Amino acid sequence: MYKTILSLLLIGLTGAAQARGDIEPLARTCNGCHGVGGVSASGPMPSIGGLPKDYLRQIMKQWKYGERSAITMDRILKGFSDDQIDDLAEYFSKQRWVPSPQAAPDAVLAKGKTAASANCRDCHGLTGNDPDVGVPRINGQWARYMELELMKYRSGEFKMTHRKMKQAARDMKPEDVSATARYYGAQSK
Amino acid sequence: MNSIDRRSFLKSLTAASGAAVLSIPSALASNPKARVVVVGGGFGGATVAKYLRQLDPGIDVTLIERETRYTSCPLSNEVLSDSRDIKTLQTGYERLARRGVKMVHAEVTGIDPVGKKVTVTDGTTFGYDALVVSPGVDFNYAAIKGLTQEISDTQLPHAWKAGAQTLLLKKQLAAMPDGGRFIIAVPKGPLRCPPGPYERAAQVAMYCKHHGKKKAKILILDSNDSFSKRPLFEEAWKALYGYGPTGMIEWVSGSSGGIVEEVDPTGMTCRTTFDEHKADVLNVIPPHHAGKIARTAGLTNSGAWCAVKPMDLESTAHKDVYVIGDSCVGGEVSTGNGFPKSAHMANSQAKVVAASLVAKFNALPAPVPVYTNTCYSVVDHDWGFSVVHLFRVENNQWVYIKEGSGISPVTIGTGKAAKPVPRIHRKIEAQYAAGWLNNLMADSFG
Repeated sequence: MYKTILSLLLIGLTGAAQARGDIEPLARTCNGCHGVGGVSASGPMPSIGGLPKDYLRQIMKQWKYGERSAITMDRILKGFSDDQIDDLAEYFSKQRWVPSPQAAPDAVLAKGKTAASANCRDCHGLTGNDPDVGVPRINGQWARYMELELMKYRSGEFKMTHRKMKQAARDMKPEDVSATARYYGAQSK
Repeated sequence: MNSIDRRSFLKSLTAASGAAVLSIPSALASNPKARVVVVGGGFGGATVAKYLRQLDPGIDVTLIERETRYTSCPLSNEVLSDSRDIKTLQTGYERLARRGVKMVHAEVTGIDPVGKKVTVTDGTTFGYDALVVSPGVDFNYAAIKGLTQEISDTQLPHAWKAGAQTLLLKKQLAAMPDGGRFIIAVPKGPLRCPPGPYERAAQVAMYCKHHGKKKAKILILDSNDSFSKRPLFEEAWKALYGYGPTGMIEWVSGSSGGIVEEVDPTGMTCRTTFDEHKADVLNVIPPHHAGKIARTAGLTNSGAWCAVKPMDLESTAHKDVYVIGDSCVGGEVSTGNGFPKSAHMANSQAKVVAASLVAKFNALPAPVPVYTNTCYSVVDHDWGFSVVHLFRVENNQWVYIKEGSGISPVTIGTGKAAKPVPRIHRKIEAQYAAGWLNNLMADSFG
């Protein structure tokens, strides 16, 4: 039994994944920036473990094929096959979502909550933990990362594919962006 | 063990917070299935020790490292500009110890690849089934006339190992008068941290710009004729600090007289093939080679560096000895796409070796290796960029995957439609750099 588990750990989860190359070693290359199990240790980099499979798959493929702008990930993903991207999406979607709640002053949280109710709640939920199907959870996601992502949606310099998200981000008042990111970043559950 | 569900087992192994609590069958804990000794506790050594324990707690892992604290070289140039406290780059080995890595703080004096044992300063020996050597680099001070280790430590710091020399260089920069000359002497490659000297020039310029030294000159005397991320650096230098003979930053290539051959610490001068240069701060980075222990152990069969095998980084000189990090040479060297000597590369190599050893000790098929690198450079508070590398192994040879590699773009679009990359890209990458460092340290030492 121990051997079976080790074998799974070392070379991947399914026969199909093995045929495409080992998923575990491949997934481990992501840890350097996204943390072990996709739990990031630092603000500017998002946690990715436990996000919806379709979301992860779609976003990685859009970056790979230049349909969506990224700054670093697009270069990295061009070296991966579509099958490897599918396997990585599956692998990370099966990890546990671990929020990294970050403290923020009450006034910021209150301001963020109001803006979140108006702009984000429909899809991500009010605490970020009960999103629509296929929408990423953002409770305890890193605030700094969310702020940078909102900056990309709002700037007009980036090709962003999700129309509703683009609209919602652009509807936000400039002074609410940081507070909203920090509000969701503070949510532990 | 039978009742363990695979997913929860996976989760416990990959849990990020705290040490993974595992129910280890007692037979495994008391009678290790293999002993692995790791020499050197930098990014490479720490990562291999951590992942060995994480993937198979039945393996006994001893990490031998001289120091009790480690200082990250990546982003240590930010210490020079005062934008980062050196403490943010430092870590201990407590978290590795909690994972069951046996920490030994001593210097390795000998490796016996036949008797398969390692000896440290006080004579203690450690037997191994596999040895991972990750000693980083050592410097060839004698290659530059007039330079010794003592002069380097006290007067002409290289600051190419982060720590005391970084702080000395910072002090010298702070004391430099306005209008002073800061010379960075770059050795012939391959060198540790290929973009490092050029990031340093920018960080020094940043300091001068904001600390009343706007007339300072930063002169890079380079033994090479080109450098990593060059178009990105040149764009940034020009926009931020002025670049060229009249700018704050100037670069002299090897073929136009950049090779520093001699230094005089008393007169504060250095001599190149063509000229003599006077400096207020002389940052001389000597040529380097694989860490001393790799040389004394006969692992440097590739001249200054250690040749290793593509599948698992086993030394081509000695069986059951693996060399990772800055000391090894790999990648597609023939096309100029060798492994960069970077922390992220060492981290990636360490994971390959850990997975390969665990497979070997459990009589499982060897995993397919993949080698990756991501490296950020920061040239101003809100200006950063990166390079990524991807290598696979095909037919037992490294293959550089061009499609999955490359520097941050300089322009967007092609031909006449090409326009400069919007400034916001650089701004975001400066943020990513900080996130990358923290995650890389957590992944390696956490």
